[in-house]
Amino acid sequence: MFGKGLVKGLEITWKEFWSPKTVIQYPEAQNPIPERFHGRFVLDTDKCIVCGMCANACPNKVISLKKQKVGTKQFLTNYVMNIQYCMFCGLCVETCPKDALHFSKVINMNQYFYNNIPLVLVQREAPAEQVEQEKPAAKPTPQLKADALAPTAESEVAASKASDKEGE
Amino acid sequence: MFENLFVGIANGLRSLLGGLPLEINEAIVMLVKLVAILVFILVNALWLVYMERKVAAFVQARIGPNRVGPKGLLQTTADIGKLICKEIIIHKDTDKLVFMLAPMLVFVPTLMVFAVIPFGKNMAAIDMNIGLLYLLAIGSLSTLIFWMAGWASNNKYSLLGGMRSVAQMVSYELPMVLAILGVIMITGSLKMSDIIAAQEHTWFIFSQPIAFLIFFIASVSECNRAPFDLIEAESELVNGFNTEYSGMAFAMFYLAEYANMLVSCAMVTILFLGGWYAPFGLDFIPSWLWFFIKMYVMMFIIMQLRWTYPRIRVDQLMGFGWKVLVPLSLANIFVTGIGMYIYRAIGW
Repeated sequence: MFGKGLVKGLEITWKEFWSPKTVIQYPEAQNPIPERFHGRFVLDTDKCIVCGMCANACPNKVISLKKQKVGTKQFLTNYVMNIQYCMFCGLCVETCPKDALHFSKVINMNQYFYNNIPLVLVQREAPAEQVEQEKPAAKPTPQLKADALAPTAESEVAASKASDKEGE
Repeated sequence: MFENLFVGIANGLRSLLGGLPLEINEAIVMLVKLVAILVFILVNALWLVYMERKVAAFVQARIGPNRVGPKGLLQTTADIGKLICKEIIIHKDTDKLVFMLAPMLVFVPTLMVFAVIPFGKNMAAIDMNIGLLYLLAIGSLSTLIFWMAGWASNNKYSLLGGMRSVAQMVSYELPMVLAILGVIMITGSLKMSDIIAAQEHTWFIFSQPIAFLIFFIASVSECNRAPFDLIEAESELVNGFNTEYSGMAFAMFYLAEYANMLVSCAMVTILFLGGWYAPFGLDFIPSWLWFFIKMYVMMFIIMQLRWTYPRIRVDQLMGFGWKVLVPLSLANIFVTGIGMYIYRAIGW
């Protein structure tokens, strides 16, 4: 019949008018983030052996790391990702032989100043070498770990906090 | 108690100014009435912009403005504040006088029309005996202002928009007036209060359904609302006649669109929905509130139309106006005349 379609259209919009709204208001509410989401990087410094494979795997040369030899071991002093060039392909995470580099579910990485964009995952001093040398050669690892761990954790937290401040 | 709220205020004002000569007394009361109407129009226009955005959002499963003020109620106020702060850009090739005159005048016909609209029992600012004729005559003046804006902009799109506005308004004015004729034949009066009084028992929407449909379609078209918004037509004409306007000049056109909608809905209410008469004997709601409710139901329907239907083509618009609406309204007059003759012959 003539005009049937018009009424049908109005019916549809009328139904839509009362239907629940699908909008999620982002800052207050958020969609659930999937398990394998490519978010902000997290580096487990205890597991990292500073092999540099992540930096090699990166197609955009995002990752730059600095290391220092402490005794017989390599010590990670600096791990910076120029995240503005990162495309979150995940090749670095995949290549990591010790499973030290991860994605987290943090999506809010915006910064107010350009200088704050690089993601500083590690920035710390290498422990003094004497400690290493005085130790007997039998069991150097646990002591070293304990020594290295305390400053590591602190500096890591501090570094990530500094870079997070603007984004919050 | 609320039934005579506004009438009571007017009478109180009159008695308060009792010491003054009668002419001055009446002039002051009339001035207060007009200021009240102006405030009414502006507040409603602000609210309608908000309502439009909310309706649009709800139809599209969104939430709509909800940040500025409680529930986003101050959104339009904030928009107007922003637009007032913005520069009104006047291009060097425009006809500057006409260009600036158009947004200044755009509210004038609307405001003049509101003088005769009865908002409730005895609540018309002026209850003229040619009220309807006055309303139609003044209401169609807005075509001129859109044409002024389109012509003075010296812009192809604006000119096209202005030409379309004239063509559309002229061709839809005709079925609109012819549709009203059926109502006028039954009431035998052009006075607003007489037309409403004739609908005390039966609204004209029931005795004149075809006229109601024609009038409603034509008045949606007169307001340049979708699906007849060829004048603005964002996607083809870059907003038509108001392409070149910015700042408050643009805001005036924007608010005037909603004020015109208000007039159209008020006219539909008066002519077909029984004005301020309460249906089903629900007298406890005051008459002016009934008028308002009916007006806003029509407003909602117009908004829903906008977010349901796509825009029609120019030739379809003209074809529909001249080939469907005009013959249909003429037939309606004919049938109404025969019906009245038969009724009289039977002796009802």
